[in-house]
Amino acid sequence: MDQEILLQALLIAIWAGIAGIDLFNGLLHIHRPIVTGVIVGLILGDLPTGVMTGAAIELVWAGMVPLAGAQPPNVVIGGIIGTAFAILTGQDPQVAIGVAVPFAVAVQACITLMFTAFSPVMHKADKYAEEANTKGIERINYLGIATLFVFYFVVAFLPIYFGAEAAKNVVESLPAWLIAGLGTAGGMMAAIGFAMLLKIMLKKQYIAYLIVGFILVTYLQMPIIAVALIGLAIAMYDFYKTSGGQGAAMRGARGRGI
Amino acid sequence: MASENAAIEPKISAQVNNPEIYEDPSTEQVITKRDLNKLVWRSLLLQASFNYERMQAAGWLYSILPGLKKIHKNKQDLSESMKSHMEFFNTHPFLVNIIMGIVLAMEEKKQNRNTIRAIRVAMMGPLGGIGDALFWLTLLPICVGIGASLGADGNPVGALVFLVIFNVVHFGLRFGLMRYGYYAGTNAISSLKENTKKVSHAASIVGLTVVGGLIASFVQIKANLVIHAGKAEIALQEDLLDKIMPNILPLGYTLLMYYLLKRGLSPVILILITVVIGIIGKIPFPFGTIL
Repeated sequence: MDQEILLQALLIAIWAGIAGIDLFNGLLHIHRPIVTGVIVGLILGDLPTGVMTGAAIELVWAGMVPLAGAQPPNVVIGGIIGTAFAILTGQDPQVAIGVAVPFAVAVQACITLMFTAFSPVMHKADKYAEEANTKGIERINYLGIATLFVFYFVVAFLPIYFGAEAAKNVVESLPAWLIAGLGTAGGMMAAIGFAMLLKIMLKKQYIAYLIVGFILVTYLQMPIIAVALIGLAIAMYDFYKTSGGQGAAMRGARGRGI
Repeated sequence: MASENAAIEPKISAQVNNPEIYEDPSTEQVITKRDLNKLVWRSLLLQASFNYERMQAAGWLYSILPGLKKIHKNKQDLSESMKSHMEFFNTHPFLVNIIMGIVLAMEEKKQNRNTIRAIRVAMMGPLGGIGDALFWLTLLPICVGIGASLGADGNPVGALVFLVIFNVVHFGLRFGLMRYGYYAGTNAISSLKENTKKVSHAASIVGLTVVGGLIASFVQIKANLVIHAGKAEIALQEDLLDKIMPNILPLGYTLLMYYLLKRGLSPVILILITVVIGIIGKIPFPFGTIL
């Protein structure tokens, strides 16, 4: 029995690793609960329950999609833990969902942490870029994939092998403010990326457009596509207004006229 | 003042002053259809090294890297190109292929580096929005709906149907957009050759407008503090900051980061500062949390 559950937990953990990679990379969508339910059902030897639970969990997550960088509860772990729990304990799919969702929320918090922890690696990547070291850039991306695999492998293996209840207690023993604080820091981190872009792109004559874009979203809640179209309209106006060589030369961005 | 600037950013200024100068300016066509297809497969790893600071930048560079290597046989040119593609990047992972196609066409034609950068920045935001609406809010629910209705009866074929429908659309689009982007980019460049400076200027206008909008929508900071003054309660965010200007904290924090970068602080330090602020902000003090 022990041997059997170990093997099953390992197989599910491998599937979790693959599905976890697919959530952000590949995006074949083999990570959706509807697919995961079938696989977990096959591994645990109860295909009908797996399919039905997977479909039920799928509908819970149907509206939870990654929009504009905001991450919903983790669909990979939610689907896998939920289905495994339903089959192993013989509970209703609805109860399985109740167990799966808190897990999925906690896992997503860890993902936030990973996205934060990977930020400093970018400076290694800058160095490789400077040296034109293409292998180095590739290694960094493979490291990212490997990290994802190991993370999902561990997160799926432990609760299935040791029981879902025990794992839930561990998650709840972490101080909430620490997890919340890392999440907040994650939300602020994009400011550094934009600041680096501004350091290169922002010249005095462009400050006006930065303000326009900011105002359009802040006060008019415009979607980015609308902001881009307004930017395009201004750019086209500017382009055709100065369609002699003179205008561009007078702006003096760089010495030579056209 | 001038010398201070030069001391702080020697690398950047060298790049900005000579953005058009390639050591090897030949614009031979080296990218083949096969290369384009290969890059589509690589772009599946767009988010392999996703992180909050540059988001998809390193994955983006990974995706176009064989193309860049083929185009820039000169090591210095390759280095300049790779450096600029390590800058912040984030878009929809399916629609990225059209940007890849256009950018590769521009790299191949040895376009001004600033123009390439501006086009990349101007396209990433809008395509992100379109992709979300198109795929996450339309294609995915339709496919899931079909699959899950079969699965609810315990029929495992539902999963297969879901995967097939979804991926036919997914990969059809990826390969199509890659080619479309590359050929459209190549044609557009030859007709715009005379006007590269003006195009660069125009693209920078669109780019910075988009960045202004992205700051407001992507950077998330909210104050949670409530100030008790006698009987009055003042919520810092709603009653004070929002009255001055909504999103004042995201804008202020971005500008602070910009200022600190210009002062020569390394981005790694800025990340640390950000993490510390985030954690302190969520510590439950007797008076509540700050953020």
